[in-house]
Amino acid sequence: MKITRKHKIIVYTLLVLFSLYFLFPFLWALITALKTQQEVFSYPPKFIPDAALFSNFIEAWNSQPFGVYFKNSVIVTVMTTIGQLISCSLVAYGFARYDFKFKNILFILLLSTMMIPWDVTMIPLYMEFNMFGWINTLKPLIVPAFFGSAYNIFLLRQFLMNIPKDLENAARIDGANEFQIFYKIFLPIMKGPLTLVAVLNIILVWNDYLGPLIYLSDQSKYTMALGLASFQGLHELQIIPIMAMTLVMVIPPVIVFFFAQKYIVEGLSGSIK
Amino acid sequence: MKLSKMHFFVVLLVAASLIVSACSSTGSNATKTEDGKVTLRFATWDVGDDVKLQQKLIDQFNAENKDIKVVLEAYGSEYDTKITAGMGAKDAPDVMYMWNYPQYQNALEPLDSYIKDKGEEYKENFYETLWNYNSVGEEILGLPVGYTTHVVYYNKDLFDEKGLEYPESGWTWEDFQETAEKLTDKDKKITGFAFPGQPDPYDFEMFLWGNGASYVDGEGKLEGNLNSPESIQTFEMFQSMLKEGIAITTEGWGDTEMKSGRVGMFINGAWYLSAFEEAGINYGVVEIPAFGNNESASIVSSSGIAMSKDSKHKEEAFRFMEFWTGEQANKERMSFELPVLKNVVEEEKLTEDPVKKVFYSMLEQSEGYTPTSFIIDDWSNLSEDLSLVFEQIFNPSTLMEPKKVINDVVK
Amino acid sequence: MHTGMVLCIQDPSPLSRTKQAWVKGRGFLFNRSNQLKREIMFTKKNKHTGFTLVRKRVPYLFILPWIIGYLVFTLGPLAFSLVMSFFDWPITGDAEFVGIGNFAKMFTGDPQFYNSLLITLKFALIFVPLNLFIALLLALLITQPIKGMEIFRTIFYLPAVVSGVAVSIIWGWIFNSEYGVLNYLLSLLGMEGPRWLIDPKWAVVTIVIASAWGVGTMMLIFYTDIKGIPNELYEAASIDGAGPIRQFISVTIPSITPTILFNVITSVIAALQQLTLVLLLTGGGPLKSTYFYGLFVYNNAFKHHELGYASANAWFMFLIILLLTLLIFKTSSTWVFYETEVKKGKKGGRK
Repeated sequence: MKITRKHKIIVYTLLVLFSLYFLFPFLWALITALKTQQEVFSYPPKFIPDAALFSNFIEAWNSQPFGVYFKNSVIVTVMTTIGQLISCSLVAYGFARYDFKFKNILFILLLSTMMIPWDVTMIPLYMEFNMFGWINTLKPLIVPAFFGSAYNIFLLRQFLMNIPKDLENAARIDGANEFQIFYKIFLPIMKGPLTLVAVLNIILVWNDYLGPLIYLSDQSKYTMALGLASFQGLHELQIIPIMAMTLVMVIPPVIVFFFAQKYIVEGLSGSIK
Repeated sequence: MKLSKMHFFVVLLVAASLIVSACSSTGSNATKTEDGKVTLRFATWDVGDDVKLQQKLIDQFNAENKDIKVVLEAYGSEYDTKITAGMGAKDAPDVMYMWNYPQYQNALEPLDSYIKDKGEEYKENFYETLWNYNSVGEEILGLPVGYTTHVVYYNKDLFDEKGLEYPESGWTWEDFQETAEKLTDKDKKITGFAFPGQPDPYDFEMFLWGNGASYVDGEGKLEGNLNSPESIQTFEMFQSMLKEGIAITTEGWGDTEMKSGRVGMFINGAWYLSAFEEAGINYGVVEIPAFGNNESASIVSSSGIAMSKDSKHKEEAFRFMEFWTGEQANKERMSFELPVLKNVVEEEKLTEDPVKKVFYSMLEQSEGYTPTSFIIDDWSNLSEDLSLVFEQIFNPSTLMEPKKVINDVVK
Repeated sequence: MHTGMVLCIQDPSPLSRTKQAWVKGRGFLFNRSNQLKREIMFTKKNKHTGFTLVRKRVPYLFILPWIIGYLVFTLGPLAFSLVMSFFDWPITGDAEFVGIGNFAKMFTGDPQFYNSLLITLKFALIFVPLNLFIALLLALLITQPIKGMEIFRTIFYLPAVVSGVAVSIIWGWIFNSEYGVLNYLLSLLGMEGPRWLIDPKWAVVTIVIASAWGVGTMMLIFYTDIKGIPNELYEAASIDGAGPIRQFISVTIPSITPTILFNVITSVIAALQQLTLVLLLTGGGPLKSTYFYGLFVYNNAFKHHELGYASANAWFMFLIILLLTLLIFKTSSTWVFYETEVKKGKKGGRK
């Protein structure tokens, strides 16, 4: 695509405008996190704190066993991501590349799992996990991921559907078996979408609050998101540590995203050519 | 070729089922630890440093009681969701913090027989009013741990700026409005009074009490109570302060606005004592003003601890509850909770403390009032209806006539 | 064999040229007769090895993990909640069978049900198209070959990384009418900011602004797909004299219809189930103007402890979403184009 000057100006203007919208709340969170208690609430609002209190971050981190929470969050996030990648790529491949009996019904069933509000299945699910003896362990958060999630399966299916059929037919003629086709031909093509699923899952799980809240009760099992919420009491929220830990919590997924971009950029086409 | 493919799926399937079975084999025998100790789960809604302090107390209990191990679980702001889920799945903690007893009464163990065993003196050492708040009907469901009444917080600096005298016990709503008017300064964006635009109906009833009204009578009837002239007058008074511009409504409880230092007065519980201090607000507290010659009253936000009906170790649970509500524990928690034992209050001379005494005098003034939530069965629904009515009255974009909307909801 | 949701393209639409180019771009346009020959060979071979039989099972093996997961983790709780919807099921105490009582109450005895349903549908009607539009616009922006784009990409995606709880807190803080920073900034510009969270007219706007902040996820999905469009397509289009807008309409959009479908469906579901923001930012107010259906269900379950009624509510919403999804899928056959179906289309569209 050729880029004219006018085009460039429009693009930059839009980029900057949107960046303002997306960045301002972060900026405000950062300013707040660096303030003293008095400055936080003062009116008119202060945009530059008298002294940037980076110690607020250290205090917030040390006020709870965030080291433990971090470890738990990493375990849950890594495990679920592995689980989702394996299960969802298999299932999506099945739905996208084959015709079989009951396929449409099964697919609707799959989608329908996204549509039931969490509120009403939560208690029965709790009972089930309790029966397994999984309450107050990380298992309820990890194990289901190994059986896929509708969102990720649907997403991968949409990408897989958009690859010409000739691909596997050609491979079959060359004598590849069905699993080899999936593993050796399709997985490499799907590098972009799979990275996408990984990134989306990491962020979802990293921030998940209700799951850990319901299934975990012991502080030693808590995740980062639960720790963050613990700054919020019934009557009052501790705004400075909340802002500080929100910003800290954003760092790991942003780093992941920054490096994952390069694979996502390859999109679908990457290795076909 | 066929084999390898099938092989893969078999491995996958086996792996999956292994995960499931391996995990479930751990089973749930969480009530007894290996060394034969009874494990008690104890849920708190407190957060931050308060939890640390509670953990210290628990460590002490565990050290003193070799046969019991108490595990603290802190749920924070979503306390009710978590408790509800646990109860629904018959997996509630053995001992838990509680205030909304009517809502959870069916899941809680009545404590009357346990308390009876301790003797009259034990019971009498707690403030009488608090037992009402920890019971439903005739049954005691919890032991009082702490409480707060509501008081007026006022910003001393703003009073000084305008050369106003600090309010004193025994003042009236007329004094209050006069003060609010004098404090208000549009140019500086200073308002006399801030109250929530969506007040919690549980809390708001205290203003009606002060005017000799309430939402319902002893039988739970709204007619003639919520829409009594006194009740409507109360709503009209709050609304008129908004119309005159001497008060604003807030999105939250109003503590944020108070902390900005631009609000003269604010009515709420003891939760904000340390928070306002940290925010650098030079504040004082005083009793809620009265309607004419009536004595003002306050709702009591009580915190107690209750025992789950499904607990397998009730005797041990009560032993722990006794410890948690005992003298020593009351003293240890004084930094964030008002003691509920008469002898502790006396010993620590809390009725002489310039700030804390206000909460105790409000408590005495509020004896004998029963919140509607303890009278009617369906409080959560009524509360939601009332909440909407309050908003219609107090929201600046509606400011509906109290008489009309209240009569509507009574029907 | 392809009935219902995924129909083949039957008429050679103006897009089929693009499609051919797409296939070409990936180097997979086979000579048709050659292809047929190979397929015949292929079938013959299968017969000899009994391969067809295995192949029949293969698809089920691929989707097996999900089926197991469904049976173990989903079906039970789902059935349980359906059963609950026919009971008066308090969280504590005994359940009592009430037949269709909960559903009857919902339709005839609870005005809040209709209110919540209506404002939720309204919200979805604003939110879904707006979000799709912004996501697509942003996705296009971040594909522009301009310096520093990695940084902008990260900035745009950044909000999607923040937890819902924190998002509500940050925005609640910014939107405070009296002492919030946003209205302060507006006052510096000489404007009087609206009472964002107090005025019922503005509250929904506030929710839209705050929830559109997390548009990054959708943007990223579009972006991944756009990046997968072969350059040859654009080259072919530009040889035909198409400008950037024309290219966008005739190349980009048709190529990403599968992910558009995905984003439409998932955002419809998300909009109709919106809970976190209204729960934490507005609590359903002011004047119940943001008392969305998700909050209605949540409060019935966790505030009023009426699990049976909440289940009935949930199942009703489930049916609405399901019908909407099926409807979208039905129409999708006219506007979603999958590469897998092009060939069948050319062969005459066997159904």
